Amino acid sequence: MVDSKQQWKAWLYLAPAIVLLLIFTVWPIINTVRMSLLENYKSLEAVRGATFQFGFGNFQKVLEYKRFVQCLKTTTLLCVLTVPISTILALLIAVALNSIKFLQKGLQTIFFLPYVTNSIAIGMVFAAMFNIVGLRNGLNGETIADTWGIINNVIMFFGAEPINWINYGSSYAANIAVMTVYIVWNALPFKILILLGGLQSINKQYYEAARVDGTPRRRVFSKITVPLLSPMLAYVVITGFIGGFKEYTSIVGVFGDTMGPAGDKGRLNTMVGFIYDALESNNQGRASAGALILFGIILVVTLINGYVSKKKVHY
Amino acid sequence: MANRIMQEHDMRIVSARQRIIKGGVKFFTYAFLIFIAIVVLFPFYWMVISSLKTIEEYRLNIPTFFPKKIMFSNYLRAFTTANLGRLFVNTMIVGVASTLLSLVITVLSAFAFARLEFKGRDMMFALLLATMMIPGELFTITNYATVTQLGWMNTYKVLIIPFLVSVFYIYLLRQNFLQIPNELYLAAKVDGTSDIKYLWRVMVPLSLPTLISITILKMMGAWNSYIWPRLVANDEAHRLITNGLRNAFTQASGDVDYPLQMAAVAIVSIPLFLVFIFLRKYIMAGVSRSGIKG
Amino acid sequence: MKKIVASLLLVVMMVALLSACAPAAKKTNSAFAVPAGGYDGSAVTISFYNTMGSNLTPVLDTYIAEFNKLYPNITIEYTSVGGYDDVREQIATEITVGNQPNLAYCYPDHVALYNLAGAVATLDNLIDSKIEVKHADGTTEILGLTAEQKADFIEGYYNEGKQFGDGLMYTMPLSKSTEVLYYNKTFFEANNIAVPTTWDELEAVCAKIKELDPKSIPLGYDSESNWFITMCEQQGSAYTSATGDHFLFDNAENRAFVKKFNEWYQKGYLTTQNIYGAYTSGLFVSTTGTRSYMSIGSSAGATHQRPSAGADGKYPFDVGIATIPQLNADKPKVISQGPSLCIFAKENPQEVVASWLFVKFLTTNVGFQAEFSMASGYVPVIKSVNDNEAYASFIASADGGNYISALSAKVCLEQEHAYYTSPAFNGSSTARDEVGALMTKCLLFKGDDVDAQIATAFQDAIDECEYSN
Repeated sequence: MVDSKQQWKAWLYLAPAIVLLLIFTVWPIINTVRMSLLENYKSLEAVRGATFQFGFGNFQKVLEYKRFVQCLKTTTLLCVLTVPISTILALLIAVALNSIKFLQKGLQTIFFLPYVTNSIAIGMVFAAMFNIVGLRNGLNGETIADTWGIINNVIMFFGAEPINWINYGSSYAANIAVMTVYIVWNALPFKILILLGGLQSINKQYYEAARVDGTPRRRVFSKITVPLLSPMLAYVVITGFIGGFKEYTSIVGVFGDTMGPAGDKGRLNTMVGFIYDALESNNQGRASAGALILFGIILVVTLINGYVSKKKVHY
Repeated sequence: MANRIMQEHDMRIVSARQRIIKGGVKFFTYAFLIFIAIVVLFPFYWMVISSLKTIEEYRLNIPTFFPKKIMFSNYLRAFTTANLGRLFVNTMIVGVASTLLSLVITVLSAFAFARLEFKGRDMMFALLLATMMIPGELFTITNYATVTQLGWMNTYKVLIIPFLVSVFYIYLLRQNFLQIPNELYLAAKVDGTSDIKYLWRVMVPLSLPTLISITILKMMGAWNSYIWPRLVANDEAHRLITNGLRNAFTQASGDVDYPLQMAAVAIVSIPLFLVFIFLRKYIMAGVSRSGIKG
Repeated sequence: MKKIVASLLLVVMMVALLSACAPAAKKTNSAFAVPAGGYDGSAVTISFYNTMGSNLTPVLDTYIAEFNKLYPNITIEYTSVGGYDDVREQIATEITVGNQPNLAYCYPDHVALYNLAGAVATLDNLIDSKIEVKHADGTTEILGLTAEQKADFIEGYYNEGKQFGDGLMYTMPLSKSTEVLYYNKTFFEANNIAVPTTWDELEAVCAKIKELDPKSIPLGYDSESNWFITMCEQQGSAYTSATGDHFLFDNAENRAFVKKFNEWYQKGYLTTQNIYGAYTSGLFVSTTGTRSYMSIGSSAGATHQRPSAGADGKYPFDVGIATIPQLNADKPKVISQGPSLCIFAKENPQEVVASWLFVKFLTTNVGFQAEFSMASGYVPVIKSVNDNEAYASFIASADGGNYISALSAKVCLEQEHAYYTSPAFNGSSTARDEVGALMTKCLLFKGDDVDAQIATAFQDAIDECEYSN
């Protein structure tokens, strides 16, 4: 029932958004495609009037990069780790928050705090917490340090061996663990907010009915709460993946511009980090090609997510 | 009879056990939440104590958990080195103007997507969502060229207009609108109510929480934006707060004065934090509705 | 689906069209041509990007006022943009639409980047110009630099402006810093240790300190990048080149010194900022537990190398400052850092000339150089500042305690013949980052195949440099 009056009205309402999007979003995207197809395009050289060959050289150059697979691996690994962990944790917190009365509002406010802070500044705080100062071998070959960092102090308090998290000689696994903690920490508030909102809008009658039937807690959770929350869960998972593939500032926050521990520069570089590196040396062509490849990846992941959630989500 | 007493006895045991379980669950719930709350708060604690340290103490190898000498003056310095009053006014102008305009555009677009039938609607909505997936950093150079050609450098326009449309907000609000029964709209049509009137009288009040959420997110954006404002409007008359505070960080030697930086971050975060505390109810309600897909 | 494919094709075609009709080459400057009359007295506004904090802008304000007494029609508008990287990013974007400032703080690699667009004005013709320009009070000066003025610049600083591979002058030094060796004077004197002037002596001193205090790490070196580049310079081995093949640092001589320092590190002689996990000055100023007795760091950071004073206001030990160790003490080489100024080409040559007059004023004015240096911890770029009364008394006050900044400045001034700068090109900062990371990585290697590991690390660093270019 597409009547013509609704047609033009719709376009009229959309006009301001469309005009602005055409100028400030669509045109930049077209320009990105253009730059990606001009071999070795550098905007500063273009100013001087240099011309560039048309071709797919930029894409080839991105894929050729020795550490491209490494960037992709780190990005994917962080996504695969942080999205489920933060979602499950947020779900547990939201359910717990929803079940209490006393302190609920205060705790809710606390959990929202990370949302209103600058991620680079807090990243520095995380780095300080994990940082070991003066790690080296002692006179008898034992490992000593001037300061183990607050996290290791806690670990040692429980009698376990301290771990080299982010410093010189630290392992990739330890680095990823720190990043996972930080990213989850950062992602929690938004997810808690969405899930708690969802929980509070679930009709209380379902729970009443379950209580009358004497359904055990676990079953209530898996048969009522999760299915009814599934649209929200799908939403936080999808946006989590989109954000996860664009991970960058959190790593700069913890590891600095080197994107890796001392002695292994770029170990934790990600796709967006790669794009930034290319922009830094004014390689807009290569950066654009990298961004389009990233766009392709996110699109595929989102489509898969959408497909899965269509099957699993109850509306 | 005896049997019956036994049963009652059993039931009492059962209910006692249930009470214990209930108490245990409650205990663990609180323990869990408070543990997480401590984890969440710790970095903030660190930020606050760092912002109160002298730079010498901050640079100590063995960090102190409480500043030996409390430097409230760091806040004063972060505050006064930048022309804070002006920065604040600028930020408010940009924040309020961009929020109002953004709300109008978002409401109209979300209405079109949620209520009106037109050719290519779903396709267009999908395309809009796809633009969210492109890293925004790439747009900077092109947009910079555009606003220069428009002659918008160092104006409020350049801070407000380019980011008025947010696909994310349109998406949020559309989800919200979809939940309002279509019958209301059709009834309004029959009564001859104009779309705008209907929007204003029915849709907007019903989706107020979402609109408030958008307002807050938008204000937060104005408060936190850094790269774009620095590029296009870095004159005294238009500079925004984050840019202004950033200047306080770098010392003459090129070193960053971290305690001062932490103080500045804290200053910048406080208003947002207060806004959340006071408007928590609305934000929560807004989010809870928009999350549900219609 | 067909629609999507069709629209994609359309986009590709549009793009092909767009790129086909790229604008014809409009070549910008190669060398700036000085207008016949020099500065004609017209009113121009000069925008100046810098990174000055609130402690330095008052000095700048004072001297802008002085400058305006000579040239009242030249208005200087300065903006503090943030850090050096912020300045670079901002200007690189602004150049794409021709919005760049007239004048900016710069490091050599920034200029190389701007030069991709040919945006920086060359200074040779301005420096050599003999045209007389009039002041407001009727007196005159020549537009260029006089022979005395040229000779007054510390040579190493002045030559930084010519490091771009074409022999042309692009920048003027504003204020500089370098690396110096801080040592625990009290400890050195108590144990009768001579301050090392060469790397060989340093090795012996480290061994001696290790004997005296086995728990110590005798030397902390803050910047791995500077260390690598300085070693290349001292031994005359290849690092980078501004022309042709840029990245030359993978050679036997460089691998050899890296191997040597690897052995030192394994003996526990030294640490660096990234290995240590904090500024090594923290280790140097510590008076308990593990400590170091020598620290090589920025001359501008002298106050961080001073231990905190006790309750009686006395420092637990006295700090000495010396030139960093050399391979050949007769021909010392120390790195030159700190901001220079570059002038951007503009349609109106008067803007360029006016910018130059201001640059000339800032870099040759003894009063400005003296006050700016004292306020910033950097050192002046002209020798005649030593004759400035305030500055002379500042230097005379030098000691290892309260006046440590003066002591650092004094050491910097005494080694004026030793400054070097590295070639600058688009990618020189990548090379700098990569050799720093390389040095850090190589120190850790141990076992039988250290040589092979070092060789691989060098190759990787070269690959990264080549790729990012």
